[in-house]
Amino acid sequence: MNKIDTAHAPAPTAEALGLTSGSEELERYRTWATTSLGVDPVISVVIPAFNEEERILPTIGAIASHLCSRGEPWELIISDDGSTDRTREIVGELGLANTTVIETAVNTGKGGAVRRGVQAARGHYILFADADQATPIEQFGLLLDPVRSGEADIAVGSRAATGADVIGKSRGRRLLSEGLRHIVRIGFGLSHHDTQCGFKLFSRDAADRLFPVQRINGFSFDLELLFIASRSGLRVTEVAVRWFDSPGSTVQGGRDTVRFLRDLGRIRLNDALGRYGGACRPTAGQTEGD
Amino acid sequence: MHLDIETVGTGNQVSMVLAGRFDAHEADPVLTGLNRLLDNGARIIGLDLQKVEFIDSTGLAVLTRVMKRARELGGDLVLVAPSTPVRVILELTALDRAFVIRDSGPGVPLDR
Repeated sequence: MNKIDTAHAPAPTAEALGLTSGSEELERYRTWATTSLGVDPVISVVIPAFNEEERILPTIGAIASHLCSRGEPWELIISDDGSTDRTREIVGELGLANTTVIETAVNTGKGGAVRRGVQAARGHYILFADADQATPIEQFGLLLDPVRSGEADIAVGSRAATGADVIGKSRGRRLLSEGLRHIVRIGFGLSHHDTQCGFKLFSRDAADRLFPVQRINGFSFDLELLFIASRSGLRVTEVAVRWFDSPGSTVQGGRDTVRFLRDLGRIRLNDALGRYGGACRPTAGQTEGD
Repeated sequence: MHLDIETVGTGNQVSMVLAGRFDAHEADPVLTGLNRLLDNGARIIGLDLQKVEFIDSTGLAVLTRVMKRARELGGDLVLVAPSTPVRVILELTALDRAFVIRDSGPGVPLDR
């Protein structure tokens, strides 16, 4: 990735910049950035981050711009996963009023970072989104609508559902994803086309039921969440999304495939040992016999 | 391609219009196009970002690199009407203080 160096560029004066006061959207962003909400957020956005000093600011900018344009109270949670670069410092130095940085001394894996972030979230609806903005935030409403309407408890972005648009993904990764998808279907009976897309939204109730019992800290935590959700009677809807391959992805085909397969066994074992039992109670409107 | 690139005008002042997502995949064609304009004698380049949905750190680095080269040649790279997401990203990275940013509209001169 490129470093941005402006040290030798003469900076024009503010007057010379010819800045405008900006649109209403820009003003909303500036208010959000400088003023505490004063009310509980309706929406929480959790970004897990491990050594994301190069990518985190543009992603925060895109998410903040879009969420502020919606006009609902929202908070941002950066769940740093033991970064060894300046990710935490860079975000902290922004001084954003409605942003929380969660820190941990050691790198636990994406699942751990998402869990810590979601458990700190206060919103009625909780989105987790990858730090690379691979799934553009403009699609947030597609996930929120079915959950807000009560049609679903969880909405998951899908790169494999009908209507999805995947841009830049290599043929090798496509084949790998397809293979793992078949394994998931056969091994877990889940009908989802894509369990791994880093763009998922949970109702408050669903998050409160799933994350306390979720155990896998690594790459396969999404699958575990969907498995527990399935066992718990939570309704999951898959939403086709536009997705861009992002240079610098931390996903490594061979290594992560081995881990994924290993985690499949762990999930089955955890289930057999009753470790997900706490989440398996009926949803509102259901009875034990449903 | 998920970024449309269009160049308008010739001579000392030219404009380039970008539309879409300006990320690492699109950095090379934008950098090549902007450098070609400078090589052909353009000194004030207006880069229209009104329809850019997202710019990543690689895209920002391209803009910075071209801006510095243009200033070394006595010109500038002027950012024109950046979309709200791009504007917020420029503010978060403090690059709004490094670039000349102009509103869009007829009669707005590109030169500083």
